[in-house]
Amino acid sequence: MSISRRSLLKGAVVAGAATALVGRAEAREEVEPRPDAVGMLYDSTRCIGCRACVTRCKEANSLPYDRTAEGIHDAPTDLNSNTKNIIKVWTAGEKSAFTKQQCMHCVDPSCVSVCMMGALHKEGEGKRDFAGEKKGTGVVLYDKGTCVGCRYCQIACAFNVPKFEWFEAFPLIVKCELCRHRGDPKKEGPLAIANPACCEACPREAVVYGKREALLAEAKRRLAEDPKRYNGLIYGEKEGGGTQVLYLAGAGVTFKQLGMPELPEESSASFSERVSHAPYLHGITPIALYGAMAFVIRRNKSKEEASEHHGEGK
Amino acid sequence: MSDHDHPRAIGGKPFDPLMKTLLAIFGVSAVVMVYRFFTGVGPVSNMTDGFTWGIWEPVNVVVFTGIGAGAYGVALLCYLLNKGKYHVLVRPAVLLGAICYTLGASSIVIALGRYWNSYWLAVPTMWNLSSALLEVAVCVLSYVAVLWIEVLPSVLDGAAQSKSSAWSQLGRTWGPLLAKAMPYIIALAILLPTMHQSSLGGLLLIAGPKVHPLWHTALLPTLFLISCLSMGYGAVVVLTTILNLTWKAKHDQRLFAEMSKVNAGLLLLYVVLRLGDIAIHGKLAYLGFNGYTLLFVVEIALFLVPAFMFFSPRVQQNKGRLFGAALLTVAAGASYRVDTYLSVYRPAPGWDYFPSFGEIIVTIGMAAIGMAIFIFISRMFPVVVVETRDHSHAGSGRVLTAGSR
Repeated sequence: MSISRRSLLKGAVVAGAATALVGRAEAREEVEPRPDAVGMLYDSTRCIGCRACVTRCKEANSLPYDRTAEGIHDAPTDLNSNTKNIIKVWTAGEKSAFTKQQCMHCVDPSCVSVCMMGALHKEGEGKRDFAGEKKGTGVVLYDKGTCVGCRYCQIACAFNVPKFEWFEAFPLIVKCELCRHRGDPKKEGPLAIANPACCEACPREAVVYGKREALLAEAKRRLAEDPKRYNGLIYGEKEGGGTQVLYLAGAGVTFKQLGMPELPEESSASFSERVSHAPYLHGITPIALYGAMAFVIRRNKSKEEASEHHGEGK
Repeated sequence: MSDHDHPRAIGGKPFDPLMKTLLAIFGVSAVVMVYRFFTGVGPVSNMTDGFTWGIWEPVNVVVFTGIGAGAYGVALLCYLLNKGKYHVLVRPAVLLGAICYTLGASSIVIALGRYWNSYWLAVPTMWNLSSALLEVAVCVLSYVAVLWIEVLPSVLDGAAQSKSSAWSQLGRTWGPLLAKAMPYIIALAILLPTMHQSSLGGLLLIAGPKVHPLWHTALLPTLFLISCLSMGYGAVVVLTTILNLTWKAKHDQRLFAEMSKVNAGLLLLYVVLRLGDIAIHGKLAYLGFNGYTLLFVVEIALFLVPAFMFFSPRVQQNKGRLFGAALLTVAAGASYRVDTYLSVYRPAPGWDYFPSFGEIIVTIGMAAIGMAIFIFISRMFPVVVVETRDHSHAGSGRVLTAGSR
């Protein structure tokens, strides 16, 4: 009994060595919004639900039209592998509000944190060099060449944005890339980087494209100008470490009702990396542990052989 | 331990009715797997963008490797803590581990959408070190290799005893060389599972908004590490008891009772950490009359019941009761893992999931081929230590502790 208790203790110490330090979090720098980051501002109070943005998104991204089993033509109910952008409506009695969903282009995205080979990456910050990618825009781009289709991005994304082509033998992950391919280098300012079709299509400027800093200022201006119109908050300024797509909602409407998850200020990526990296101490722990174990095991073996040699058996 | 603990090839007819049944089950699942490569994952599964891993990741990878962690647990006791008496368990545990991990890794290939891009995993400059899944993938693949190297001594032993002189020569040349390298391989065989089993828990840290608060905690890596050990020790007792019933494998009740006391400690440690963590973080409020509480209570009970059973002399002295308790520890770890990955995972309101026939048959087929491989190798090579009064097997592989295999 005493032996097993001792071995249990020793076993626990050895086995737990790598994780025992979990509580003592290693500093992982919070990712700040990049100064040149671009994004969108969606104002639910201006949206009339015309869905012009949904159609123009499909055209701009050459996405096939969606069809339900009942044969309803191109009326998707959610984001899917044919739909990178969607307008939804929330209703409660007389009240209703429109909402828009697409990639939030997070400041510190979960999908980028979990992607094994950097298939999902911030523009210009991936694992491979891509011609024409400009660092600092913060647009989350997809590289099908390094994606293994593990779908961890779908688990990690709090907004359930990345979609998978379930019925393809050679499937892709599909998500909004802020129409970066529509950017025109000849133009000035943000339009040189990208040019989201949804923003171009919107007849009421319910969704506008620009630099995140400028959009944040614009959101604040609108809140200050007409405080009774809004619920007074800007979703995406801090939520989940901040997003590059910002939301305004009408008075009496919560962002949760518009389908946005309630997130803490620390990004999920930061929390996860902080906890998982802590015990590794920048790679020292595994090497030290390996060396120590190899030493002990070899010593045990020599002792064993010595006792065998002297014919003592065990 | 006596000098008579020689593992022996079991021999016998390879294609008995059990083997035929196992292969038939695998055959059906193989059809589904091949079909999947032509049509995509959608047609054979009920996986959706919400429940994107279905049961393949939670069961085929997370549970199978938990069962396979017996190799890790026994290696810890036998080599690191130098408890030579556990040596009889090493070869079956390592073979079980090698098979479970291989099945886990192959299941992933079936589940991966763009499997042909996996070759990038071999290029370290492409690694995103922030990704828990990358750590799991690289670690598990290396560990599969390490486990099969650990199985090699059985094969080389078998070869050394072979009547063919070429085989015999091969076994005699490479056996001792491998024995020299073994300590360094075993150290790796302990380090790698320590890393990736905790990372399997760490995988879900980032899914905080989706995993129920009773399960989502910074202790996920620690709890997954403990649960793999408890599952592993349980699985070794279960396996060896079954081998005893079928092939008269050596069954040392006292040894099992002792190992199970270690396991009891692990099970209790898990419960203390789990409950303490919930209490400290003020999550007790989530307990109430709901399905999550039921899952939680069942889980804790599955950990507690075998822990107390292992301390009871009535269980320690009885083969059947100890077997039952060991089976419960496997169930405990499996339920914790499936709950965390699936039962309490809610991507957003409106998503629902129940596995399809195709998903289930692939999982069962993988388990079946695993058993078939175990039986085949045990019949061909000296893996299992058989109860014997016969002392004439002087030529068969002598078992030493501390990596001298």
